Amino acid sequence: MLAQQILNALTLGAIYSLIALGYTLVYGILAMINFAHSEVLMLGAFTALGLATFAPAAFGSGPSALAAMFVAGMAAAGLVNVVVERFAYRPLRAVSRLAPLISAIGVSIVLQNGVFLWISTQSLSFPRPVVIGQISLFGASVSSLQLVILGAALGLMGLLHFFVESTKMGKAMRACADDISTAGLMGIDADRVIAVTFFVGGALGGAAGVLYGMNYGSIKYNLGFLPGAKAFTAAVLGGIGNIRGAVLGGFILGLLEVLACGYIPDGAQWRDVIAFTVLIVVLLVRPSGLLGEKMAEKV
Amino acid sequence: MTSRRSAPAFAIIALLVAACGPKEKAFKIAVAVPLTGDMGTEGQGLRRAVEMAVEEANTAQRFPYKLAAVPFDDRADPKEAVNVANLIISDPRIIAVVGHYNSGCAIPAAKVYARAPVAMISPAATNPEVTAQQLSPDWIGPKMVFRVVPTDDVQGAYAAEFTYRKLGKRRMSLLHDKTPYGQGLAEQFKKTFLQLGGDIVTEDGVAVGDKDFKALLTKIKGSVKKTEGLYFGGLYTEAGLLLKQMRELDMKDPFVFISGDGSKTSGLFEVAGESADGAYLSIVGVPVEDLPSAAKFMADYKKRWTGSGEELKPFDHFGYEAARIIFAAMEKGATNRAQMIEELRKTDFTGALGLTRFDAKGDTLNKIVTMTRAKSKGRSFDSIR
Repeated sequence: MLAQQILNALTLGAIYSLIALGYTLVYGILAMINFAHSEVLMLGAFTALGLATFAPAAFGSGPSALAAMFVAGMAAAGLVNVVVERFAYRPLRAVSRLAPLISAIGVSIVLQNGVFLWISTQSLSFPRPVVIGQISLFGASVSSLQLVILGAALGLMGLLHFFVESTKMGKAMRACADDISTAGLMGIDADRVIAVTFFVGGALGGAAGVLYGMNYGSIKYNLGFLPGAKAFTAAVLGGIGNIRGAVLGGFILGLLEVLACGYIPDGAQWRDVIAFTVLIVVLLVRPSGLLGEKMAEKV
Repeated sequence: MTSRRSAPAFAIIALLVAACGPKEKAFKIAVAVPLTGDMGTEGQGLRRAVEMAVEEANTAQRFPYKLAAVPFDDRADPKEAVNVANLIISDPRIIAVVGHYNSGCAIPAAKVYARAPVAMISPAATNPEVTAQQLSPDWIGPKMVFRVVPTDDVQGAYAAEFTYRKLGKRRMSLLHDKTPYGQGLAEQFKKTFLQLGGDIVTEDGVAVGDKDFKALLTKIKGSVKKTEGLYFGGLYTEAGLLLKQMRELDMKDPFVFISGDGSKTSGLFEVAGESADGAYLSIVGVPVEDLPSAAKFMADYKKRWTGSGEELKPFDHFGYEAARIIFAAMEKGATNRAQMIEELRKTDFTGALGLTRFDAKGDTLNKIVTMTRAKSKGRSFDSIR
């Protein structure tokens, strides 16, 4: 049973981590919380569903279909995030810290209601292009879907790590995160770096949306809200702005929820309370999160 | 220009109204159900059923006045239900209300209707409290709540007997969504199942909107006293996700999943797909397909509503019946809200559901429950006899 619960926690944690990365990347560079991120991941899932519904021929089946859904969901979510940044955040960036935040909440409401009004108010069935098989491992029943989720999430995290640490653009991103105006003086095109960051963050969110849809088998206009809130929490828990922190936070939150649910009497009703109590305690002890560094105030 | 031309028209209308007296007024019947959101499909079905009943009455010129059905959207949200109820009581031409769909909405909304007072007939809310609250000393107003569906105490108890006797299960796990409907079902199931000599092994609540039940299901699966099935009091979104995740955890036949009428809708297949196969779902009354008295209603409904997504929903015949019970009361001379409540108490109506009469609380005396089994192929629910 413990093995099964840990597996449940890993699946949940992988999805939280992917979403948390989107929050943390944006925060790292702009010190801004992208509240529209939960809608970006919802749009990623809807794009993948649209592809599967309206272009089944091009879409095929099996692993190629799986790949197509990911590419479509990630590209759409990334682009939406870039567009949102360009038109809703960039013009406000110089105004104040608060303005883009409010703008983000506005974008979130617009996107969510847009899907609600134009696409569907109901749960829509989400396709699973691979046959779900089950294998038994240490007494836990592991489905191939869980392996896909874990594999995709870990693979994307690996790619992100490579991108940030080993490419020129990644270096530029890190420079901007350190100090955006100095980076600009050094000849880095900050606007471009920010756009790329939003694209990468959005694409990870889109991938999470597709995984989310496959895991639960159905999607709805408001699907982003709950995992978005949880992932944001995970990002704060791990230390917002810190990439490793977001991953760690996501997995810890997944584990906390599952353990609360599985081992505490009546835990299913209390799991959010327990998870968030732990969050508060951690933040009291380490206000900048588990892996967060104490940041100097930017002037 | 416009005002000068319309002035005589107004005078003529005013004259007509004055000449014809109160009997010539148009009457409205409010349909207060969720029209959007998760429960929107079921609510839209009820709206169509009531509209159809009203159209029939108008075409047949049953009354010397016109009737209209006015839909109100309570979004399955108790707060919104109260807002809607306040709107309804402020329109004096509304003579009765068909609604609400959710017990959680019907309970607070009924308190508002009692203030007017205006009669409310619920076609779907099955928590006993919907009518039982009228017996409380805090109840302000007359008893004006009626319902044409049997209640959860019948449904939960029936499911427990079915599980114990027909399926031969002795150890069950209990789960509900903490709403008046879901918890009511689960509590009634528990009561009867324990009386029969069964054992409730685990008992948990989940929140509406939760998506991940794997941890909980793993716990249930691993319970020390081996559980043989799960009874869920709740609605189809959570039921569908539960079924899906149960199958992924290898909890399948002979492990049974039993739930109530809130999950018996095509939406279950939208969420659970093939995982829904084999789930037992009780429904109040007899499935409309098996009711000889409802054959005409079904045929008319299919003729009237042909659009996509306009197929018959599980509670539509109750909505239709509620509207026709209101017409019967009007035929006996009820032309205001107070007379309507009086006449509804004396209801003795034979229609699509068979014979409907109300007990002192306003509950129907027509209490049949049927167990059905979900089949994803063809998206059907076959009744078990």
